Amino acid sequence: MTFANIVGHDRQKDLLRRALESRRLPHAYLFEGPEGVGKRLMALALTRAIFCHEKRGCGDCAACRKVDHHNHPDLHFIEADGGQIKIEQVRVLQKELSYRPLEAEKKVCIVDDADKFNPAAGNALLKTLEEPRDNTLIILLSSRPDMLLSTIRSRCQRLPFSRIERRRLLEVLCEQLELDETEAHILASLAGGSFRKALGKDREFFFRTRRELLKTLTGLTSGSVLPLLEFAEKLAQDKETLPDIIEIFQSFYRDLLLYRHGRPQDELVNIDLLNKIHRVSGAESTSSILGKLAALDTAGRQLNRNVNRQLAVEVLLMRLVA
Amino acid sequence: MSYLVLARKYRPQSFEDLVGQEHVSRTLANAISSGRVHHAFLFTGARGVGKTSAARIFAKALNCEEGMSPQPCQKCPSCLEITAGQGLDVYEIDGASNTGVDDIRELRDTIRYLPSRSRFKIFIIDEVHMLSINAFNALLKTLEEPPSHAKFIFATTEPHKIPLTILSRCQRFDFRKIALPALIGRLREIARTEEVEISDRSLALVARRGEGSMRDALSTFDQVLAFCGEKVADDEVQGLLGMVDRRLLLEVAEGIVRRDSRRVLDGLRRVDELGHSFRKFCQELVEVFRGLVLVKALEDPGELLEATADELGQLRQLAAEVSLEDLQRAVTLLVKTEAELAGSSFPRLALEMALLRLTHLPPGKEVAVLLRQIEDLGRRLSASASVSSAAPAVQEPEVPVRPEAPQEPGPMLTTETAAAYDVSPPAGQGASVVSDRWPELVRHVRKESPRIGSMLEHGCLVGFDLPRLEVGFAAGSFHLEQMKDAETLQVFQSLAEGFYRQPVKPAILAVDGRSSDGVPPSLAEERRSRETGRKQQLEQEARSHPAVRAAREVLGGEIIEITPIDKEDSREP
Repeated sequence: MTFANIVGHDRQKDLLRRALESRRLPHAYLFEGPEGVGKRLMALALTRAIFCHEKRGCGDCAACRKVDHHNHPDLHFIEADGGQIKIEQVRVLQKELSYRPLEAEKKVCIVDDADKFNPAAGNALLKTLEEPRDNTLIILLSSRPDMLLSTIRSRCQRLPFSRIERRRLLEVLCEQLELDETEAHILASLAGGSFRKALGKDREFFFRTRRELLKTLTGLTSGSVLPLLEFAEKLAQDKETLPDIIEIFQSFYRDLLLYRHGRPQDELVNIDLLNKIHRVSGAESTSSILGKLAALDTAGRQLNRNVNRQLAVEVLLMRLVA
Repeated sequence: MSYLVLARKYRPQSFEDLVGQEHVSRTLANAISSGRVHHAFLFTGARGVGKTSAARIFAKALNCEEGMSPQPCQKCPSCLEITAGQGLDVYEIDGASNTGVDDIRELRDTIRYLPSRSRFKIFIIDEVHMLSINAFNALLKTLEEPPSHAKFIFATTEPHKIPLTILSRCQRFDFRKIALPALIGRLREIARTEEVEISDRSLALVARRGEGSMRDALSTFDQVLAFCGEKVADDEVQGLLGMVDRRLLLEVAEGIVRRDSRRVLDGLRRVDELGHSFRKFCQELVEVFRGLVLVKALEDPGELLEATADELGQLRQLAAEVSLEDLQRAVTLLVKTEAELAGSSFPRLALEMALLRLTHLPPGKEVAVLLRQIEDLGRRLSASASVSSAAPAVQEPEVPVRPEAPQEPGPMLTTETAAAYDVSPPAGQGASVVSDRWPELVRHVRKESPRIGSMLEHGCLVGFDLPRLEVGFAAGSFHLEQMKDAETLQVFQSLAEGFYRQPVKPAILAVDGRSSDGVPPSLAEERRSRETGRKQQLEQEARSHPAVRAAREVLGGEIIEITPIDKEDSREP
């Protein structure tokens, strides 16, 4: 993986390159940004650029290959072990970092999900993080930097990663998955600028099921009690997809909201359902849509807290059709 | 030698370098010069304010070969060793990695021996809050009475995790957050030594990012230097720090203040395109609104608001368009949204919702204004009430009766029924007028059972001598038949008992239609007769009204119909 292979993040690439060239590379980085935008790839690309015999991350030399295969002796990974990064892992790392690098100029340690440090482990790393031996680079990756100890954050150079631009994501989706534009648009909008989400999700679900769900939802009226309860039962059955379904509903009501405010089409998500959006938005007022979005929000939060799923969905639907 | 980050390169080496902690450095320096040095110190404060640095400087000052002095020489082997982190008699212990009681036992073993070269054996325990309880307790005796050659310096960001017994054995120093001007000054100094060109504005941005911590500010500065090199441009700094363009922020704030949803949504779209984090944007928006509130509330916000004169002017302009109440509501909602954004799966939507809600909020009213209005209203009401009660003297005796009737539907009375009630007692009934309270009873029954109540309106009270209650109805009338029904009568009885609060035996009698042998008229009749009377009176008044008379005389008109305008309507201004 080289810098050029990573989509987007031009500013970050530029910054890392400049730091490398001017030899102003700090001893600790904190890459922070949404999940699945390429933080880990960037860390690996940086490592390769440091280790490479050609000094440019060529991809052909022995060092680059070892990095690609994750078996370079000077590259260390720390990942959460059972939901947490534990103090033993930090102790092992500290011992590892106390030796001189074997093959490369530096020792590099990449900590994935750095917000998973448990308090003891995080504190144990502090002194190392502040003044490690020469030729050490520690890269922390986190999608929730606010969960890190403030003392850890302050010891790192922070490099924020932003969401990938939707247009960029759209291009890649069109190219790599050979989707047509409408499909790619919907997928890109729902993924919210994260590749892991855009490429990883069950696409079929987002196209077919979404249309069906929205059709059923808009078909319900406040009088249709039985169909509503049946629909709720159906939705509540699958625990895994329920958050996605709520997201789909949210996107739909957001479309209504934006449509009512005369926003251009490309800001909407469900652009294949424009007719429906037009029809439904006629019957709603801004405040009623806002109320429904709030209901969706509440339902999402309740589901996170393990409430009775069916009950939550029933209440949600009743508030949506009211 | 690899690159050393600025925070390490420019770690203060003497008390003079220690920025923003004058209260600490002065106390320590005085302690040294007067020879009253305690044996255990606790340095606490936020991250990156100089605790570890102060500990090292203090160690140097204590062990300097030139003699104990507040200004260590920086030249003797001892000073140089400590600067390099290799001091033989200065043990810097990572409290977070060596947390156990065994580590403390080891420390106790070494503490007994005299220092190898220097005056004191100094133990700096950093991150001391992570020691286990056992470790702390194992330390207690040593900490209370250590050998005369030992000094302890603890440093931590979380003093509340340290047992009280340890705290009481230490001299505690609280390090402050470093004020913005001090941060900027230090950054400028470093920029000069590093030979970097940077504007004051950019320096201020970097320093502000530090939030009172020198290390944070220097980390940011490092990043800026890595990106920009020797010459730092303002807009590059802004982009690098992920700061939202101030113009965009003001644009959105203006949209909110002017309730222009289109502008707000346009602004959010730009935020999305620029790839800013929505949370960050929301935080900065909160800052802008805080500025607006301050500008609105204070004549001169001064140091509370870190803004240039230009920005201040813009804020003033915007603040003039909006009430304080509205601003505070906006801040409340934005702060709430900001917290929600952290866990939101669809942050753009969450922010869009919040901002749209703000643009659709009806303008708030100040509580003080509302209160004044209510007071006004109350005064006006009481004024009009006193006028109306003073006018008809007939009503006076009725007033004291009212509170006695608990089921009285008082406040809900329309003026018309109240009037009907007031005039109703016929003059001939004498003493029983007050006690039988027939109209009130009817109203009470009507409230509980409208059917019976409306029938009673057609009846009249023939005999009243509790528990006997005789109600007369026109012979052969529909109401008579209905009231004679046992069930209805029973309901009436219970309602009447509830009203008089004593047993009642109601009896229904047939009364001859129009005979006037002492039978009082029913309520319905009474109302009818009163209404025709009133109508006649109105007609009379209308005919004799000067305007009408003049119209007839001048135009030779003819009165065809006189319709009384409804009372309620005519009262309206």
